Amino acid sequence: MTARRSYWLNWVYALPALIMIAVVNVVPMGQTFWWSSGFGRLSSDSRLWGVLRNTTMFTFFAVSAELVLGLAIALLLAQKFYGRGFVRAAVLIPWALPTAVMAMAWRWIFNADYGVLGDIFYKFHLSSSPNIPWLASPGLAFFSCVLADVWKTTPFMAILLMSGLAAIPSELYEAALMDGAGTWRRFWMITFPMLKPTIAVAVIFRAIQTFGIFDLIWVLTGGGPGGKTQTIALYVYDVVFRYQELGYGCTLTLVMATALISFSTIFMLLLRPKSS
Amino acid sequence: MKIFIFGCLISMLLMGGSCKESAQLRAGSEAKVTIRYLTAPDVGGFSKEMIRKFEKLNPDIHIEMVEGPAAPNTREDMYSASFMAKEDTYDLLYMDIAWLPKFAAQGWLRPLDDRFSKESQAEFLSGDIEGSKYQGKIYRLPTQSDGGMLYYRKDLLKANGLNPPETWNDLATAAKKLQSPPQIWGFVFQGKQYEGLVCDYLELAWGNQTTLMDGEGNVHLDSPQAAQALGWLVDAVHKDKIAPPGVLTYQEEEARHMFQEGKAVFMRNWPYAWNLLQNDQSPVKGKVGIMPMVHGNGGISAATLGGWGYGISSFSKNPEAAWKFIEFAASSENQKLSYFKSGILPTRKALFHDAEIVKASPHMKELGQVLSHAKARPAHPLYARISDSLQMHLSAALSLQEKPEAALAAAAKEIRLILTSK
Repeated sequence: MTARRSYWLNWVYALPALIMIAVVNVVPMGQTFWWSSGFGRLSSDSRLWGVLRNTTMFTFFAVSAELVLGLAIALLLAQKFYGRGFVRAAVLIPWALPTAVMAMAWRWIFNADYGVLGDIFYKFHLSSSPNIPWLASPGLAFFSCVLADVWKTTPFMAILLMSGLAAIPSELYEAALMDGAGTWRRFWMITFPMLKPTIAVAVIFRAIQTFGIFDLIWVLTGGGPGGKTQTIALYVYDVVFRYQELGYGCTLTLVMATALISFSTIFMLLLRPKSS
Repeated sequence: MKIFIFGCLISMLLMGGSCKESAQLRAGSEAKVTIRYLTAPDVGGFSKEMIRKFEKLNPDIHIEMVEGPAAPNTREDMYSASFMAKEDTYDLLYMDIAWLPKFAAQGWLRPLDDRFSKESQAEFLSGDIEGSKYQGKIYRLPTQSDGGMLYYRKDLLKANGLNPPETWNDLATAAKKLQSPPQIWGFVFQGKQYEGLVCDYLELAWGNQTTLMDGEGNVHLDSPQAAQALGWLVDAVHKDKIAPPGVLTYQEEEARHMFQEGKAVFMRNWPYAWNLLQNDQSPVKGKVGIMPMVHGNGGISAATLGGWGYGISSFSKNPEAAWKFIEFAASSENQKLSYFKSGILPTRKALFHDAEIVKASPHMKELGQVLSHAKARPAHPLYARISDSLQMHLSAALSLQEKPEAALAAAAKEIRLILTSK
């Protein structure tokens, strides 16, 4: 009797959260399926393939750089040193800024005529002129966008990885020290394997976010030059709002979702613990 | 998706807010009609003054001006969201020429042919009238004119005994002679991948006896003249090097900053830049001339038409009162007021020769000349897609990823596909 009652009571407790999930997740997802149309167009859509390639490359470069840098920062901040709390908070600032705002700042940094980045290169004799048109040629514009994104989201990666580091029992390190393992060996034998699940979660989190990147690129390049920085989210925006083709826009978001689900599955399989 | 939900929320808030207000008004005076429209922030205070005058003359009509975001595309989305829901949130639209075909094709606009006679249409600049039509019907009463043109440094040309250029080649020659990069460049324009690049390119194409799309819907981008026009622009950046490499990131304001700081001899821009260049703090004050855009050999100058005007929503319950207001707004008297208060260019031909206006701003005669050459971009409901395809290939050519002929051939092919898709 009591077990039965508590079973139903649990559902009652969960109800507000379930309603919330239904309203903000299930209903919009259902509508996306319901509204989507024009699947036949996907194969002949010349813009789609370019956009998917750009988005995939952007995600690959940005998330890889974030992982390496984020791991370095996490390892550093996991050490005990004076003023660690302050440094930890300071590292988070870029991530706390609204993307559109920080993108405006980066647009000024990359400005061809007045930008500070060109000036820094010039002062260090890396360039013969302070006027470097960062966003004017396809390759440079692409990596400028990657740089701005890495700057913004590395702290998030670092925070996630720090939580993983904190969960590694210190006895393992002590034992390894006894056995005479050096720093490098301790990292590869203990830290990295123990951190794998956290890395998987962090990379998937970031990949999903990066794959849907809109605001940063919208502000920096608007997809140019020659469409070489256009990501799928920019394309979906154009299709839905500027061309007013809601059906095809929904189809494109389904393409996006499919790409992300397949990526996450493959990535999870790759990082699966070997023992199981 | 995030943006979509955000947009929905904003429009819901707006609608919710406005419903409450109109309910209060109804309670106040039973017979009063409220006419609502969305517009940019009222810089200079012209619209508020005009509305006060109108309400005094028409005590039974209340005009509610909603000052929305300054970015036109955001307001376009707000209008779209409300019309998609078939709401009568807005009785009037203050709209850009570029929105008209899309909105008219959706049936969101009321044709004005019964009210706006052919005779009164003849009093306006012909480009502004043509740009207000869709499939033979007129949907907009133009009140603000806008067209691209060439700004040049009078002082520098004069000091070197040069006349203002007429053809592209003249411009390149003069620019090469007068520039000394990176201190001062020959020519700046809008080279970023966006709508402005299409406007700049079309002026060159029209000035070389070709066009994007003719009246029958035939695409002419793969003509040799079209490639020549793009070739000149690409050469300006890469071969003649009269434009800075960063021009590929320029919109209007980046170009204006360069020109205003004395870092460029020629600039393609819209009329808004004039007042800013003549500002007391401007280093080039009194040193600037304006003229129609340069053209190809044997061509004539052309300007891309911009401009704003009023339309009436199909969902409005008070089209009569709405028309009364827009007729008032487009009167000579109010256009003059808007010019003096907010620097808005008139659409009535006679005002470009109006004694008071010409006395205050002698350049208005030249401007009238520029605007009489102004041409509208293709009035097609799928224009946004057409333009995006062209933008991408123009930008690809400017950044040397594609040759001008190949870029335009590819754009022509895509645009033909878009045109047959519906």
